[in-house]
Amino acid sequence: PLTPMTPMTPVTPASESSGIVPQLQNIVSTVNLACKLDLKNIALHARNAEYNPKRFAAVIMRIREPRTTALIFSSGKMVCTGAKSEEQSRLAARKYARVVQKLGFPAKFLDFKIQNMVGSCDVRFPIRLEGLVLTHQQFSSYEPELFPGLIYRMVKPRIVLLIFVSGKVVLTGAKERSEIYEAFENIYPILKGFKKAS
Amino acid sequence: GAGKTPTLGGGFHANLGKESRAQTLQNGKRQIHHLGNQLQLNQHCLDTAFNFFKMAVSKHLTRGRKMTHVIAACLYLVCRTEGTPHMLLDLSDLLQVNVYVLGKTFLLLARELCINAPAIDPCLYIPRFAHMLEFGDKNHEVSMTALRLLQRMKRDWMHTGRRPSGLCGAALLVAARMHDFRRTVKEVIRVVKVCESTLRKRLTEFEDTPTSQLTIDEFMKIDLEEECDPPSFTAGQKKLKIQQLEKALSKKLEDFEGEISSYQDEIEIELENSRPKAKGVFANFTKDDSIEDNTSSVLGEEEAEDEELEAAANHLNKDFYNELHEKDRVKKIEDGECKNGNEALVRPPALESLLGPLPTAASLGITESIKECISTKDREPGENTGDGELDLSGIDDSEIDRYILNETEAQIKAELWMKENADYLKEQKEKEARIAKEKELGIYKEHKPKKSAKKREPIQASTAGEAIEKMLEQKKISSKINYNVLRDLNSKGSNTPKKEDDSTDDSTNTKKLSRRKSIASRNIANPVNSVGKR
Repeated sequence: PLTPMTPMTPVTPASESSGIVPQLQNIVSTVNLACKLDLKNIALHARNAEYNPKRFAAVIMRIREPRTTALIFSSGKMVCTGAKSEEQSRLAARKYARVVQKLGFPAKFLDFKIQNMVGSCDVRFPIRLEGLVLTHQQFSSYEPELFPGLIYRMVKPRIVLLIFVSGKVVLTGAKERSEIYEAFENIYPILKGFKKAS
Repeated sequence: GAGKTPTLGGGFHANLGKESRAQTLQNGKRQIHHLGNQLQLNQHCLDTAFNFFKMAVSKHLTRGRKMTHVIAACLYLVCRTEGTPHMLLDLSDLLQVNVYVLGKTFLLLARELCINAPAIDPCLYIPRFAHMLEFGDKNHEVSMTALRLLQRMKRDWMHTGRRPSGLCGAALLVAARMHDFRRTVKEVIRVVKVCESTLRKRLTEFEDTPTSQLTIDEFMKIDLEEECDPPSFTAGQKKLKIQQLEKALSKKLEDFEGEISSYQDEIEIELENSRPKAKGVFANFTKDDSIEDNTSSVLGEEEAEDEELEAAANHLNKDFYNELHEKDRVKKIEDGECKNGNEALVRPPALESLLGPLPTAASLGITESIKECISTKDREPGENTGDGELDLSGIDDSEIDRYILNETEAQIKAELWMKENADYLKEQKEKEARIAKEKELGIYKEHKPKKSAKKREPIQASTAGEAIEKMLEQKKISSKINYNVLRDLNSKGSNTPKKEDDSTDDSTNTKKLSRRKSIASRNIANPVNSVGKR
């Protein structure tokens, strides 16, 4: 395969992998319960639900295991956030659906989809952000007046990374776990290039 | 002839698209100049900003955004590319808008226009802040010292990820003190626009670097080789180390506890051997029969479940007992039991009487898991059931039931909720009543939230000319019409009614003209005829 003249991803030299695995911190998923819901009814009969129609048009429900939060809308659609793995997110969503079922609604479980995954890790060395923003200007945005980290928008895979001077990296925007790992493997050699000489 | 009779009142949509664009650009230019002058930007900067604005408009970036935000973003972009010492905070102060809102617009603009400004150098701000701090003759010297301090801070990795103004403030404060100026922290922060705690933090960080230990003279001459790590990195490393230490410490504690408990055991054994036999109440517990009954009653709850489950529960209970055995034995007053338990673990004594209700498999929450492990795997690897039915595997119903309120609880919550949301409920009722009434009257319109068009006041005018003027003012039909001429056409008519004869040649034209103006000037008898070509 030919290497393109203007590579869309930063070129990674053939070196060994970093040995660091990003940890997943948050998963956001959606599911369709496929039935109209009476939010007032749900809020008044569930222990862990809050509903402020003036502020937001959905019931906010929480469960302890897996520790997650769900937004349940009257159309029957639901958003589940806070899980640390795909399986946990699915289990949590099913638990919420079960609660809704027990409250008397014919809830189904259609089109479960993971919408966003957030991971984080530590490369263990300080990173020169000013240098990175100079050489990778088409991908990076670094405004210390607004945010202390560098915002790196990787094209393939389409992930946004927040890179901090302390060496901590946050990766977000993934639909699959592999995207996070791939993005980190792509960025690690670049970050090594801007490692502080100690 | 028939031809196209351009109507005055209507038909102005033809040129509306270009008019709107021109107007937007004009408006933008005006605002840029107004804001730019407040920032004292030169003409070149203002022109560049206007160019950015034109690009933004052509890319439709102004849609859905406040014009002022876009203008501010264009100006700040110019400031960055030209390297002027203006901060986003200055713009935010002038416009009284949250700096992060402006920042969002600015980032978007920079990304869409593919303009990447280099990172801000805090050295840019020194002359500006030094001037505002009024060092008089020594301004240059203080600035130089401050610059040198900043260079040192940069080498010590203090500036990455921080607001440049905060660093400037710290550098200027130290420089001022070095030159015997008593500038207080409050004065500096008023100029630099950071918080007092931020400034103190920067000073503390600088204090931690080896350079802070040099004297003033040494500092001006020597440059230390070593570069420090960024403060956030050192803090992170420290935290990591503390966590590791804690882990090691807790592990050591466990080891010690083990040692202590083994000593306890030995002491206990010695005590046992020298203790007299149990009498009275406790004597019952030493008998084997009662013990058996007790254990079977404890385990009897699980009779309904599989034997394997029972075996597993037994095993767990036994393990649990062993653990407890070693830790709590000293506290037990049922000496007889302990003695018995010590002898033979085959028949565990009544644990229930030892420590209250036993942890059953159910209360440990592993009933389901155990069942799952024991039963054959019927489930397919792919969990997607075609019809969207909720897959209940792995969900403990009792756990779910705990999330649902009972009758009394639900009533109480309902009361509280009604009180909290009384206003909202009232609004909803009124809305429904309104909709019902309108439905009855047959005038109910589906989309209510749409804003109605601006209602214009009816024009009050004494003459037709005035009426036309006022209408044109309001409607702003076209910039191509020379309003002066239009005005004069009418006024001339009213002044010279005698010129009727002259215009007979142009009668056809004037007739056309008269038709054009008939809307507003129907009441005027003559003047139209006297209109000639100007």
